[in-house]
Order: sequence, then structure tokens, then C-alpha cells
Amino acid sequence: MAGAYIRGMGLSCALGEDAASSVSALQRRQMRPVALRLEEFTEPVQMPYYRIPDRAELFDAGRLARLLPPAARAAVTQAGLTPGEIRRLPLFIGSSCFSIGVSEARYAAALAQQPQTAIPMPLCGYQDMAVVLQQTLGCRGDTYTYNTACTASANALLGALHMIELGWYRHALVVGAELANRTTLAGFSGLQIVADALRPFDAARKGLVLGEGIGAVVLSAETDSTNRLRVLGGASNCDTWSVTTADTGGKSVAAVLSQALEQTHLQPRQVRAIKAHGTATPAGDTAEALGMRQVFAGVPPLSVLKPCLGHTLGACGINELILFAGALQRGFLPATPGFATPDPALGVQPITAPEPAPDGHYLLNHFGFGGNNTVLVLEKTAP
Amino acid sequence: MIRAISACDYLQPVPDGAALPPLEAALKDLCRERFRRIDRFIQLALLGSARCVAGRTLRPDCGIYLGSGLGPIGNNIVTQQQLIRDAEIPKPVNFVNTLGSSAGFYVARNLGLQGQNFFISRRGASLQAVLSAAIADLTCGVVGQALLGVVEEVALPLAEHRLRQHLPGDLTLAEGSHWLLLQPGTGDSRSLELKHFTKFAALEDFLKSVWRTGDRLCCARSMEARVAGALRRDFDAGARPDPAAAFHDSLEAAWLAAFAASPEPGTLFLADGSPERGWSLFYLGA
Repeated sequence: MAGAYIRGMGLSCALGEDAASSVSALQRRQMRPVALRLEEFTEPVQMPYYRIPDRAELFDAGRLARLLPPAARAAVTQAGLTPGEIRRLPLFIGSSCFSIGVSEARYAAALAQQPQTAIPMPLCGYQDMAVVLQQTLGCRGDTYTYNTACTASANALLGALHMIELGWYRHALVVGAELANRTTLAGFSGLQIVADALRPFDAARKGLVLGEGIGAVVLSAETDSTNRLRVLGGASNCDTWSVTTADTGGKSVAAVLSQALEQTHLQPRQVRAIKAHGTATPAGDTAEALGMRQVFAGVPPLSVLKPCLGHTLGACGINELILFAGALQRGFLPATPGFATPDPALGVQPITAPEPAPDGHYLLNHFGFGGNNTVLVLEKTAP
Repeated sequence: MIRAISACDYLQPVPDGAALPPLEAALKDLCRERFRRIDRFIQLALLGSARCVAGRTLRPDCGIYLGSGLGPIGNNIVTQQQLIRDAEIPKPVNFVNTLGSSAGFYVARNLGLQGQNFFISRRGASLQAVLSAAIADLTCGVVGQALLGVVEEVALPLAEHRLRQHLPGDLTLAEGSHWLLLQPGTGDSRSLELKHFTKFAALEDFLKSVWRTGDRLCCARSMEARVAGALRRDFDAGARPDPAAAFHDSLEAAWLAAFAASPEPGTLFLADGSPERGWSLFYLGA
């Protein structure tokens, strides 16, 4: 199993507008959701929200084109790719929103100006993020855009990894992007799984809190002397129990964890810690906790990052990988703010204070609508 | 060696003024249960995948690779109208079905699959994206079988659907669900291969070395016209597939699946690429 190295990372999220400051804020356990109230609907939408602190209007249609390139450029710059490598760079994008916010804005403007000729979904398809990145970064390689709900960017990373291992590409830019839009905010409000605060694995957990974030990783077949992080592999499966909820018995979660370990030739005892998905929904955390307990005789230390940046949906795979990898590079496992009271039905609890992060293997869990479960395996080694 | 052991091609032109043909009766025979909360895109995915599998027992590690340029556009239109025009919170079923992965969920549930389940898009070339992903995973041994589908839905009214895609007003539109069941091994079924080339000349040389009378070539729409023209002139002058006959965003998939399902001799080549991307050649052999 060759895996692929993380050569560069870029991030913009509620914790900060670059990867380094975001990891520092994570270390400080910063939590700064803003109160959101959308009055435009027949029923008001009200929720806390973790937004990127860019000072623009939340639904400004220009944010996608402004915020996407800097994170990707930071990853490419840190990776030290040559102009020729950037030109050939393939893009693997995972998102839940794509350009829906821009589409909403154009439809709303058309309705306001000429309602008779306004066409819904004036922007359709999934290609706009790739086009923005191609135009601003100059990369002209193949594009793969994944839409598998909250596992999208984790699955995009797996896709890139396999193609790098086959020698099809030497480097790949993997991007997770989620920006505020009315469809997502109102849609989740309608599902009634949004809570006032994120309390992962807590007995009092009531649901998730949404957030936005753009993360980018350059994955590479090659390493350099300073590179200490390798994506070893992972696994993905589909739980057909319910389109919105994992099997609360934990069976499919256990299956995907076992597949990830088998695929990377690891034993459960070799896992140093787990970055849990931890949406803080009653059913989601139950499925994840019971699944982990079926695989691990003693569940390794758990970190949940969502209380610090919110649930960034299709982008959470890359955003949380960057934060977790950054924490490992600095030698700590992130604490989980928001957790206070253990749930005896779960039998697991996240760490509430930072712990040392030794060299070794780490799992990153991701679960999404459509029954999608994905686990990534990350290896940290001494320089 | 990867083989296409089964295929299904559903391509349905939608004439102006016509309603979309109902699919419920066909789905009643193809589905293990009656799915209530599904839209047209999911219906098309269920129809094509079930016909392709045709009652075969699939491997437990069979992966689903669903591609589409536009995804569940009809449902997304309804959701956006609820949200923006009517100022209403979208209905949960509409919101959940805006995700491309919902269709894959119902396909997996109908066929009893629990392996990996991906929705991948590349506008105008979603077939190439899912083919690449499936071939990579089969080659790496990540999956033992791949059920690969490309689905494109038509949203009425057709005039708006053309405007949305910047298409000419007289172009005939079609909906489609095109599927292949792939697995490694040997046998009588068609072989599927993918070759990458750094230089275009290497692709041309390779084609010259393997080309036989009766073979067919498709140049992806994303290829530069000059390059595609040169390939057509040297190998196969036929415009394949013919977008004037009936168009959707992934028309190459219709051509590939129809060929895979047919007993026609020869090999079908699909060329794609650019000087920056490099060049790729997918081919489905006899």
C-alpha cells in the first residue's frame, strides 16, 4: 500500500482564513458561531451558524469566486509545484452546495426584474467550482466532482489517492467547498435536526450546527524530507437502512471501519486515535459509537472538530483532514468542546482536553445522507 | 482485464409539446419494493440499473459509479421554486433528493448492494469521469465489480431546459440511463481498457497499431475540434454519437452502452484529452 503524501494544505473556515491560524484557533478551542435569522420565508429560519469571517454579505453571490481560489492557491504554493505541474494538475472536488448560492441569486434577481421569463436553476450542473479553479490557478488537468453528501470530499480524496497509486497522476488537488446558501439552510431547518449548540456524543445532544469552509490539499506520490503525513488509504460503503440516517445498530459503520483497516493492513490496536464524524444528532452519534465499539475492544481517543467549525457538509472530509493533520503536525490531538455528559447508551466519549499525538495511524470518519460512509487512514511519521 | 458483462441503454428523445413517458409501470416490474419518495432522476437510475443487472447476483463488494452532468435537475427546479419564488422552506423529500447520492442510495437498496456508492460529475464528460474512477478502483482491487451508470434527465418545459444549457432552440433533447456492469476476468463478454498518453502522436500511433476495419471511434466533445477532426479523418469519419439526433449532456454514454449491449463485431474507441490534460483512450473490445 503506497498511499499518497499531503504536500500542501489551504483552508478558510470559521476558525480562520488560512490553515495555520485555523489550527491555532482549534488549539485554543475557539467556537464562534453567529446567530442567523432568515426572515424571507413564510416560517423564519433561525439557527447558529459557523461562517467564514470575510465580512461580506452571507449570500453574496461573488463569495464563491472570491473564497475558493485562495485556499487552493495556498495548498499549491505550499506543495511547491512547478508551473508545468500546476498546468497538468487534476482537480478532485467534493461539495454539497456547488454553485447553488449563485443560482439562487440569479433566479431571485430574474424574478424581481421579469417574473414571466425567470427560469429556475439558471446555473445547473456541478462544474462551476472546477471552472473557477481552472481559470484562477491555471490548472488544466482532468476534473472529478463528487456529490455524495457529507462524504463528498473524503470520497474525492480516495478517488485521487487510487489514481495516484496507479501512476495516472503524480499530484492531485483535492478541494472541499461549502458556502452558505438558502437551499441548505432552509432545507436543514425543514429536517428539524439543527440544534442550538453542537454537543457530540453528549447525553444532551440534540442535533448539528451548520458551517461553511473551503479546504484544499495537494496529494502527491512523492514526499520530501519535511513531509510527515501520508494518506494510507480508506474505505467507503453504502448503508441502505435509511436515506438520511445510518443504521443505529452501527453495523454499516463497523463494516466500513473494518474495511479501512483491512485495506491498509492495520489491526485495531494500531490506531492511535479517531477523528470522529460526530454530528451530534441522536441517531448519527449512536450509529457511529456502536459501530466503533464493534471494531475496537477499547475505542481509541476520539476528537470531534465540528464544535469548532460547524458541520461543513460535503467539505467536511477535507476541512477536518486539514485541521486534524495540522494538529498532528503540532503534536496534539484536538479536544472536543461542547461535550459534558457521557451518554451511557453510547459507551464512548470524546477527549475534552488536548492530548499528545504520537507517530502512528489515525482514522477519520465521515458519514452522510444517501447512506454514504467513508473512513480515511492517515499516517504520521517522524521527519 | 476488465470486462463489461452486461449493459443497458435507455435513450428517449422528448419531442416538443410531449409529456415525459411514465416509468412507473416498468419500475413496478424492476423494483423489489415500491419507492414512494423518488423523482424522475431516481426513476431513471432505477430503470437502467435494474435492466443492466437483469436479475444477476452481484458481488457483495460491487461498487456503484453514477455519473451525470446535470443531476436531479427536475427536483432541483421544484426545490428552488419553493425556496425563492414561493418563499417556503423546501419539503424534506425535495431537499434530500437534491443530492446526487440519493439516486445511488435507491439503486443500492433495490439491488441489495452495500459497497461504495459514488456520484461523480464532469460537465459534458461525466462518462469519462465515472469510467476512470471505476477502472481505477477495479484495477486497485478496491471493488470486485462495478455497476456504472450515466443518467441525464430532461426538465420541462423544453425551451427553458435548452436555455439553461445554452443549447440551440431546435435541438431535440433526450433523457437517458446508460449502464455497464464491469468486473475483472476473462470470458466472452467485451473487454474494457483505458490507456493514457502524454503526447497526441502516441495516441495516434497506438490507434494505428490496433485499428481494424469495422472499428468505431468517438472523439469527446471536450476535444479541440482540429484534433478531433484529424482523428476522424484518419480513422472513422462518422459523427458518433450524432448530437443532432437527440441530445443530452452525456450522449457518449448512450453510444457506449448501446454498443456494449449489441452483438456487433469490432472495437469502439472513445478518445479524450488535450495537450495539458494528456490524452486518454477508452476502448470496448469484441
